[in-house]
This record gives sequence, C-alpha cells and structure tokens, in this order.
Amino acid sequence: MKRFTYFASALAATLLFTTSCETEDPVTNDPPSGTGTLVVDFDYVWAMAGAPFEMGTELYHPMTGDTLTYTTFKHYISNITLIKNDNTTWAAEESYHLLDFSDPSSTSIHLKDVPAGAYTGIQITFGVDSARNVSGAQTGALDPANGMFWSWNTGYIMIKAEGSSPQSGNGAFSYHLGGFSGENNCISVRSFNFPNGDAIQVDNNEQLTVNMAANPARLFHSYGSVANGAMMHMPSGEAATMAADFNSWVQLTDAF
Amino acid sequence: MKLRNFFKALPLILGSALFAVSCEYEPTQPTLRFQIPDGFPEPWYDNPDNRITELGFELGRDLFYENALSSDSLQNCASCHAQEHSFADQNKAFSRGVRGMEGMRNSPALFNLAWSPTFMWDGGIVHMDVMPLAPITDTMEMNLPMTEAVQRIQASPLYQAKFKRAFNTDSITSRDIFLALSQFMVMMVSDDSKYDRYMNGSAQLSESESSGLEIFRTHCAGCHTEPLFTDYSFARNGIDSVYEDLGRGRITLNAEDDGKFKVPSLRNVALTYPYMHDGRFFTLREVIDHYSDEVKSSGSDTRIPQPLRLSEGQKQDLEDFLNALTDHTFISDPALADPR
Repeated sequence: MKRFTYFASALAATLLFTTSCETEDPVTNDPPSGTGTLVVDFDYVWAMAGAPFEMGTELYHPMTGDTLTYTTFKHYISNITLIKNDNTTWAAEESYHLLDFSDPSSTSIHLKDVPAGAYTGIQITFGVDSARNVSGAQTGALDPANGMFWSWNTGYIMIKAEGSSPQSGNGAFSYHLGGFSGENNCISVRSFNFPNGDAIQVDNNEQLTVNMAANPARLFHSYGSVANGAMMHMPSGEAATMAADFNSWVQLTDAF
Repeated sequence: MKLRNFFKALPLILGSALFAVSCEYEPTQPTLRFQIPDGFPEPWYDNPDNRITELGFELGRDLFYENALSSDSLQNCASCHAQEHSFADQNKAFSRGVRGMEGMRNSPALFNLAWSPTFMWDGGIVHMDVMPLAPITDTMEMNLPMTEAVQRIQASPLYQAKFKRAFNTDSITSRDIFLALSQFMVMMVSDDSKYDRYMNGSAQLSESESSGLEIFRTHCAGCHTEPLFTDYSFARNGIDSVYEDLGRGRITLNAEDDGKFKVPSLRNVALTYPYMHDGRFFTLREVIDHYSDEVKSSGSDTRIPQPLRLSEGQKQDLEDFLNALTDHTFISDPALADPR
C-alpha cells in the first residue's frame, strides 16, 4: 500500500512522460499490471459519542431517551465500486453483501481481482439495488433462505433491527426496513473520497483496506422513540426515513 | 395438452440429444417444449437461466408433491392445490396449514401461470421463481423455514441425484428448488376446454352456451379478457363497501387500492368453488346473481355494469358457458399428477 499525494502522482507521471519521450522505451508507459484485493471493514458505533455498538446490552439513545437492547442487526450493501484517479471505475462483480453484526466475518468484505491502479474513493449502494429485488430467485447473500426477503410482498429487507426496549408497548422492537421504489425507497448510493484526497496505489497482490463506520442509533434520528411504533414489517415512508437516516450517517474512517 | 405431445416425441428428442452428445462437452438434456397455445399472447415468464428440461420439470413435479416441504411432513403443494380442482383447494373457503390454522384467503387455482405478471390475490409477489417461498415458509401454511427446506432436500440421496442430473449441482440451493418448481408450474397450461375447441373449430357450443358467450363478452370480458379470461388487473368487485381485507392496498399502501383483488381467470371456474377472495359464494349461480343484481355501487370497479338485471334464462346461459370453460384434459393430464 503506497499513498501518494496528487502532487507526487503528477510529478511521477511527468517524469515518466519525459522519460518515454527521450528513450522511446515502451515498457515504462504500460499501465500497472496485475490485481490486488479490496477489504471493506464495517465498524459499528452507537450515537454521537461514538461508543461501541453492542448486542445484548442496554444502549441509551440520547435523542429519544429510549433504552434499546439489540438482539439482531443486519443490513445489505451492494455494488461496491472503486473510483480511480482518472475518474474511471472498477465495479466488483456480483457484489451483494449481507452484513450481520453477530457474525464478524460478514462485516469484513474481501474482494479479489482489483486491477492495479491508483484509487481515490469508493462507491457503495446501501441496500439491494432495485433490479435484484424483482429478478426472481437469487443465491449467496441474496438467497431468500437468509430470512431477509419478504415472501408475500416481493423485495428484500434491507435493514433488520430487532431487540427489546421498555419504551415499546410490548417490550420488543422489530424493524424490517425495505422497499425499492418511489417514496418507500430504502436504497442509497453513496460515494466516499479517501482521506485527504489521497490516491491510493494498489499494485499486484497488494491489499487496499477501507474502514467504514455505521451507527444503528441513526435509525431513530427522525423517527424518534420506539413508542411511535416498534414494529415495521413492510415498506412505508417511515421505513424509508429510518433507512435514509442510517445510510446517510455512514462514514469512511480510513483507507490504506 | 402439449405435454402429451412432448412425451410422444420423447424418443425422437432423446435420440437427437444423444446424437448431439458426441460433439458437446456435457450431455445435452432434452428440452421440454413450452408451446404458446394458438391465440395466447407471449408469456410473461421468461427466465433464460431456467430452460425447461424434462428432468427439471419432473423434479419440479416431485417437489410440488413433496411432503418434506412442510414442517410436519404431512402437506405438500397439492394439499391445497388439487389437480381435480384445477389446482385449487378441495372446495374450502380457507385452506388449513400444517398447524390446523385457516388461511386468510381462498386458495387460487393454478394454471397458465406463465402469463401471470403477479401472484397471490393481492399481486404482492412479482416473480414466479420466488412464489413458492410464501406457502412453504408461511406459519399458516407449510410452516417450514427455507433453510430447513433446503437441508431436507439436500439430505435426500434421491434428490441429490435428481438435482445433479437436472441442474448439474452438488450443492442444492433454494434457487435450484425454486427453478425446478417454476419449470413444473410453467408447464401447467390449460387450453383444451370446450370453449377452446369451439374457437379452433373442432367443437360446437350449445345454443345456451353460445348465448352465454355473448352475454359474457358483453358484460364480463372487460376484466375477464379472452383468451386467458383475466387481464390480471386489480379490481373491487362490489361484494363489499367496507374492506376488512385491504387486498391490493396492503401491497401498494395506496388507499385507492383498498379492497381490490386480482381478477382471477375464469378458465376451469366450475371446478374451483367456492368463489371470491374469501370463498363467500359456493356456487357459480351465487356469483352470477351477485354481478347481476347485488353489486355494491359505492367504490366498485367502473367496468362492472350495474345493475345488470339478467333474466333467469340469461343467467342459465351464462352459467352453461362458464361450464364450457372446464378443461378435462388438463385436470386428468397424468404428466401433471403425483408421480408416486
């Protein structure tokens, strides 16, 4: 992993350009060859103080005053795409990922065959793109057997948050957030630049690591207390709001 | 039905396939011929990744009649979709699932599914390949988590062998199960009623049936469009003005869709009683009486002419015509029956 500033890259490019003109050596102008790997690591924090998010622990929500104990937190991301320093992109193939907080291996996504090159950012779709919601039976992360697909109202549950809270009428909360069109759309496509505007060089057999942070407290940012309704099991404008608030907070914390 | 034709041609097709083997890396499976009946539109179901083969079709049929897909291993798809009733339930308003609980809506007949853009009374399911997920997993129906369904099928050496042959897979996924079921469902084509034979010139309608057809085309065909006898739209049929079951509205969350249900095909309608989404009418005559004399005007679909006030003779003619939509070939087709 090498980190260049734009200046250094430009300088290097200039030198290479100069070299090639003088020596007529075709090799020096070849694009970097080979492939590396991309690791996208998701970390989960709780509320503004950035405390760690945990399962089975009472978490206080500073905005709503609720006390929430999560038992399940899962969400989909899809179509991971790297942005190169020439603004072209590399899109991972068949990139659908179910991140389950209870399964640490699922929140660290390893992608192969990243073409060697200099990358300046990453684009991630939060949720499952609308096409795959209506494309019939899928496998892998999108297998309906994963329990993240509505059998009676075709579409994926993009975010599933379950647990208990004394503020809920029946003591439990269960938010299954999905919907892929119109005002019920729970999908967000977001792009993140690498820190300091850096371009990160990936060479053959090298690894680019991108650290992301997400914040399950954000589900309640606009929606408010679980007392407003602790069960959501179908698409709705409220579900879309909860998903949008969660998705919009996600941050890129480091890349190297 | 085309299936019979297919099986007649099977030796020829098999022979061609075997002949082709020599120049193929993998043996070519005989492809089942899905034929669009004369006058039918292009089917909606079009999955290039699910080419219909004889082995895939048979596997889908095995799964359709497979008790292991219910939690107590006592029910299968045919428990509520019986061939003799055009794959509707045995004349029950609401079917009972494995736990003895009644469902919420009348079990629909199954045929010509390849033309259906949506499934269920409310159209909530938009792809045939994921349709079986609902009845298999619903706690009111077969009540089996899909992961367990896959494990059960995967644990069977017989199914392992069949999936290996049909889909060339050693690791059966839910998708393989769904694709096989779709192959069976796509081939459930009903196109050989007396009406069809009349349309292709090989049979005559009686005077009463003929008169019934005229009444039908004047008053009913606006929604129950030939040749599929549905336009797959969602409509309020005037049986209620207060909607206990929101129907389509539950899916679209649009109040204008409350109380709307999918227009069902009227093919084989004489076999699929009781009628309406909640099975409230037991006879065809009750349904005809409803549309003739009892449609609730408030909020019902504007395509329903009202009041119709059909005469007794007209009602009988219409009923006779509806009886001519029964496809006896379809309900007795051994290719669609339980193979065991």
